[in-house]
Amino acid sequence: MKFLCVSCDEAMKLMNVDPPEDGSLTIVYRCSSCAHEIAMLTNPYETQMVSSLGVKIGNEPADTEGASKCPFSSVVQDMATGGEGSGAGFPWTPDAITRLSNIPEFARPMAKIGIEKFAQDNGLAQIDAQVLERAKDFFGM
Amino acid sequence: MRTSPALGCTDGSVEVAVKSYGDIVGDGGSAVLEQIRAQQEYLAQNLSGVRNLLVVGSGKGGVGKSTMTMQLACALRELGNAVSILDADLNGPSQARLGALQNQILIPGENGAPVPTTRNGIGVVSMGTLFPEPHALEFESVASGSSHTWRATKEFTILNQLLACMDWGKLDYLLVDLPPGVERIVQYAELLGPAAQFVLVTIPSDMARGVVARSIDALGKTPNRILGYIENMAGYYCSDCERVRPLFPSQSEVKLDLPCLGSVPFDPELAALCDRGISISDEPALCSWQPVRRIADEICQRVSECASSTEDALTEERR
Repeated sequence: MKFLCVSCDEAMKLMNVDPPEDGSLTIVYRCSSCAHEIAMLTNPYETQMVSSLGVKIGNEPADTEGASKCPFSSVVQDMATGGEGSGAGFPWTPDAITRLSNIPEFARPMAKIGIEKFAQDNGLAQIDAQVLERAKDFFGM
Repeated sequence: MRTSPALGCTDGSVEVAVKSYGDIVGDGGSAVLEQIRAQQEYLAQNLSGVRNLLVVGSGKGGVGKSTMTMQLACALRELGNAVSILDADLNGPSQARLGALQNQILIPGENGAPVPTTRNGIGVVSMGTLFPEPHALEFESVASGSSHTWRATKEFTILNQLLACMDWGKLDYLLVDLPPGVERIVQYAELLGPAAQFVLVTIPSDMARGVVARSIDALGKTPNRILGYIENMAGYYCSDCERVRPLFPSQSEVKLDLPCLGSVPFDPELAALCDRGISISDEPALCSWQPVRRIADEICQRVSECASSTEDALTEERR
């Protein structure tokens, strides 16, 4: 979608994206010639459609699914409370967190639960790159 | 360029020229089209070590696509190939159970996530590994009650992410196990690109063959090649009389305009093993093993016949 300032015949630039509220994104555009601003307010269907494409709007993720950024967070919650996750809130070292970004975003919460359970079962205090390597060996990867 | 009523001229009597969509470069800041293009390029790059993308579909449900996919993977592995499976059925995944990988976890590696591997060396990526039974996938949304409008998009985005983020390594075959649905076959063909080659699975009933005929028609409008079809459940193996006995009428009115790669009888013993995650290649005495081996041979032969054209298409897709 593109926005045009009709009076200036200039393409408008995206200035700001407000976090979703009640399923609606607020995206502000400005004309670089006359500084006229408009805001596009999406309805929940439009917000969800963009989110489903896995793209970002402006500098912000178009994610509308909460802080976990996981479309299955209620399932993950069930797994954690069902005793399948440690729920211990293990500390992750920066290099381990960096590696976690190599997993598809939707799968990170589940991966975290599994790795933290592995750490808990093995009496480990934190998750670092060595623990991840150990887990890989353990699971035969 | 198009025209618009001049500012302040509400009756439209004076019109001025204004830019049209194609006149404007970019979308003002989000670069959505570029992001989608980047996703596609990243996906192609991540699959560059995969020699053959083999998609197992049907259009019809319940014909044994998933079981056949795992059996074919076992047979291709026995022939010395490096093989992995992507279970594209996000909502009804079977491959984790078939490969006894239900209790695996995803662990981030230095280059993507390593693919969980069965005891006999077949890589399997399945939602059944990520979500143990009986958890069902619930895609959360701000547009509650309207999942029909966006769910397919979300599913294909997730498949794209799985394909792009897993460390597939060097593979001779990546098998993709599709969910049912004729219309979706075309969508998978578009996602996987023109180099993906299809094998369709049917059973000897006109009901199933009729749906597979629709899938052939749908795929005929894509550049993808269909290697042929497999006739599954072609009779059942009776262990009492040690013979394959008929399950469906022998005469079919629906002709499939494709080569038949082979027929495989239904074997109740294999069904029991599948539930326990035991591979058919661990039980070579089963009656379905030899037919599956012959089909794998046939697939290898047909794939090698068009290897050069496939390589050309992959190169084109990567550009």
